[in-house]
Amino acid sequence: MTHLSAELTSTFTAEGAEPFTVDAALEAGDEETVVILGPSGSGKTLLLETLAGFHGHEGTVTADSEDITDRKPEDRDFGFVFQDYALFPHMTVRENVEYGARYRDSPRDADELLAELGVGHLTDRSPPTLSGGEKQRVALARALAVRPEVLLLDEPLAALDVPTRQSLRDDLVDVLADVTSVYVTHNRTTARAIADRIIVMADGRVVQRGTPEAVFERPKSSMVAKFTGSNVVDLSSAPELKSLLNGSGPGAENPARPNGTSGQVAIRPEAIRLQDGDGDLRATVQRVVREDATNRVTLAFDDVTVEAFADHPPSVGSDVSVTFPRDRFHPC
Amino acid sequence: MATETGPSVEVDSGGMTSVALVVGFVVLQGVAFAAAYTTGRPTWYAYFMIGSTAVTAYVLDGSSFTVATATLGSVLVVALGLPLFMFVARQTPSLVVEKALNPDVHRVLYLGVYGPLLAALLSLGFGVPLAHLLSEGFPGQPLVESLVDLPLVVPHSVAGILILFGFGQSGAFPNVSVLGSMVGMVLAMTFVAAPYAVNATRESFEAIEDRLEYASRIHGANRWETFRRVTGPLAARGMITGGVLAWARAVSEFGAVAVVAYSVTFFYPPAGEKVTAQHAPVFVYNTYLQGGLEESGAVAFLLLAVSAVIFLIVRYLTNDDATGGMP
Repeated sequence: MTHLSAELTSTFTAEGAEPFTVDAALEAGDEETVVILGPSGSGKTLLLETLAGFHGHEGTVTADSEDITDRKPEDRDFGFVFQDYALFPHMTVRENVEYGARYRDSPRDADELLAELGVGHLTDRSPPTLSGGEKQRVALARALAVRPEVLLLDEPLAALDVPTRQSLRDDLVDVLADVTSVYVTHNRTTARAIADRIIVMADGRVVQRGTPEAVFERPKSSMVAKFTGSNVVDLSSAPELKSLLNGSGPGAENPARPNGTSGQVAIRPEAIRLQDGDGDLRATVQRVVREDATNRVTLAFDDVTVEAFADHPPSVGSDVSVTFPRDRFHPC
Repeated sequence: MATETGPSVEVDSGGMTSVALVVGFVVLQGVAFAAAYTTGRPTWYAYFMIGSTAVTAYVLDGSSFTVATATLGSVLVVALGLPLFMFVARQTPSLVVEKALNPDVHRVLYLGVYGPLLAALLSLGFGVPLAHLLSEGFPGQPLVESLVDLPLVVPHSVAGILILFGFGQSGAFPNVSVLGSMVGMVLAMTFVAAPYAVNATRESFEAIEDRLEYASRIHGANRWETFRRVTGPLAARGMITGGVLAWARAVSEFGAVAVVAYSVTFFYPPAGEKVTAQHAPVFVYNTYLQGGLEESGAVAFLLLAVSAVIFLIVRYLTNDDATGGMP
């Protein structure tokens, strides 16, 4: 039960590289999961490591209104799950999970925790002999064993293959429900699945924050829109769509209408509908890519392309009728 | 090995084939050397070794590149190995036994193992913290690195002179007698041996991922605990390697020891009293000057044997995983 709040500025200098400044604020309520979402090199891992106390910084970190800014990592009562597991190779699985027990007041039982996470049969194994998914479950157990006030996770699923990732993600949803956590990822699917709140980072700064719904549906910039999977359409290249949005009818009251001038709008691919009969406009099918349960279709009209989903794939090169729900457009 | 297609022999299936191959090759070389030596034509053996290596390389891996590297490499191996073989072959057993029973030689051998051991421990005791610092990096690090590596490039007699300037009678600690003392000898050995301990340990610290240290810290361990439970154990092999290298370097040190502590007085447990002796390389040199090649050869043979045994024991003790070898 911890409320975490942080305002951090830290500059990193690596040999042969420009100094890189991370400047971000974040807040996570009791048992809330905050996802830091951003592309590679956006500084999200550095932010997480700074939060953990691994790097010096300016600003403050408070946990339950207690200032922990000057505390060393070992005194912050955090848990950390690393992308590359960072298990101690010279210890057994159990010794890894019990690692922090002696430093904390009421650590959790290692065997019990490992069993809960489905790796109870591995207690006496050596980490290098485990698979990626097993390693990450052990690493998660190690972080949870110290009963952390805040759990920090740095791309814990990134190194795993898809089936392993999905099964661990499902378990993470359960685990994260009971602990305040900050979760770094570049994967929007993961972010949407587990986040209570999302912070989008780029170039060391926060570019948007909000609920998953707000960030995914109402991106504030084209960068956020693209990164969260929205189509970004430059209306000056799409006169047909522009007149549709500026014209009479439901679109006329749409607050998203970009002032009747050219501008960029974002729309999620799942909002765009392909249909047999009359739609808003006609588009040419450029490409169809089969995905798990659906097809991702690239549509061309005017001078732009957008992506949409279709259960029944149209044939490439055919003309289809497309409907755009006016209220799903958002200027960006 | 043998990853190329074509006429290649399976050497890695279970390792048995490869062990048999090595044993066969060694026996062949032994027989060839014995034959060449007894007929008084050791030169023939040199040619045989190079030729047999080339043929073996061709049989195992037909590629011209491998044959070329093996043939050229074997020239160096001959240059390194032949003197050793000749040296061993030309020993007079009775002389070796006589020297092995000589109490003076016992003292020299004791000192030759014990002094370097102190130097290796000193090198590690202060070298491990320094190695840890160097692995983490700090401002002005290149200056310290240059100082650490200095003994590797200075002639060792010069190293001895430097020590006398630094710690001799008009040096930094005038109360401590360095010239001709045990302290001086260990100091001279440490001076030349420390770079090996520092550099090997540093490499093993650098090989440890930062994340492991992070994982330790964030789950409650402070820096001392992290060193005790994570980084220290993970770097242990590097420390042992460094220690063995430093010890070996100290055993072989002649120049600096000859300048600083030509002969020293030390407590000798078998006699239960203080005795005076010289460091083994100095003693061997002295014997050579006074008694000639035969005499000094016998002492050198004993020194070589003792060093080899200790080296093998340490290697065996630290070689706990099957893949073998020290890092």
